[in-house]
Amino acid sequence: MGLENKNDDLINQQGPGFLTTSVDKLVNWARTGSMWPVTLGLACCGIEMMHSAASRYDTDRFGVFYRPSPRQSDVMIVAGTLCNKMAPALRKIYDQMAEPKWVISMGSCANGGGYYHHSYSVVRGCDQIIPVDIYVPGCPPTAEALINGIIELQKKIRSEESISNG
Amino acid sequence: MDKDNQIKIINGKLSEFSLLLLSSDHDPLYQLEQSDLVKICKILKKDQELDYSILIDICAVDYLTYGHADWKTNDATKTGYSRAVEHKIIADVDEEFPDRFAIFYQLLSISKNTRLTLKTFTTKANPPSVPSVNKIWNSANWFEREAFDLMGVHFKGHPDLRRILTDYGFIGHPFRKDFPTNGNLEVIYDENKEQVVYKPVSISTRPTVPRVIRKND
Repeated sequence: MGLENKNDDLINQQGPGFLTTSVDKLVNWARTGSMWPVTLGLACCGIEMMHSAASRYDTDRFGVFYRPSPRQSDVMIVAGTLCNKMAPALRKIYDQMAEPKWVISMGSCANGGGYYHHSYSVVRGCDQIIPVDIYVPGCPPTAEALINGIIELQKKIRSEESISNG
Repeated sequence: MDKDNQIKIINGKLSEFSLLLLSSDHDPLYQLEQSDLVKICKILKKDQELDYSILIDICAVDYLTYGHADWKTNDATKTGYSRAVEHKIIADVDEEFPDRFAIFYQLLSISKNTRLTLKTFTTKANPPSVPSVNKIWNSANWFEREAFDLMGVHFKGHPDLRRILTDYGFIGHPFRKDFPTNGNLEVIYDENKEQVVYKPVSISTRPTVPRVIRKND
């Protein structure tokens, strides 16, 4: 990922105090390079999510590799309609994920209820239940759109300074 | 087996019951008394000439406001769009619509390659009920649970009549015509309690009839 060159420059150019920002970059490089999402396909968006993971688009190129357990995951991709019955289970899965964790809301239903906004049984946006980092629009979003969302999330993570600020 | 022959055989085998052939345009549709339902279904399944071995589906229909719809275009242009927004209250549901719920059974005979639809009205009591056909066709188990969950029709003799689709602790039967489309409750995460909690719905009802009427006059 070109980390060696960048760090060489930093080490050569900067004096005392350079270490914290470098560690931030190292940590963010590690975080963005292996974002393992918890498999959470709730509706037709789940099919597009599978497409993005399969051979044609292959999110494994970005280190995005689906896990069957929230304990092993950094990212939750809420792909599909979140209904009232599922909401407590979704929150429990989110709570079980280890920090640091991020959420991508995929598709109209997860973003704001979408087609089922006026329904008696659907949550009007998964951000009623869990905090969301990236919203991917579409019904369902294409695999490319989801990959764009993943790249946007990588950009967001790179802009974080968890060690120097934390 | 052609359709006329099928109808002839059914009428012959079930001559002791009061049957009403509602339609034979496609597959035959029979209406029958709900007190005869179990006996008729047993014959339809066991008889070698009929052999309706598979129950494809069970549907429940709510006839509330049937024939009283807003959907009369000539009158509606005068009353305008607001007719759909204002909620009509039916004073006495049981009085005005005595035959409110009907149950439909879709049957299939593999050996004879025929299909058959049965229709029966529920009892007029509250809650409405029909006898369960679960002992005749095992597939009726979840169909009847679904009809109970969404329409509130009780199936007498069902081994495990629980809700199947709606949320745990859900109140009401959402496919009934007098159930609000938005529901009564919605869920949200409560940070203080650290759990998902219910609260009253935050959105208002909206018209569910087609928007062909363009202005009030």
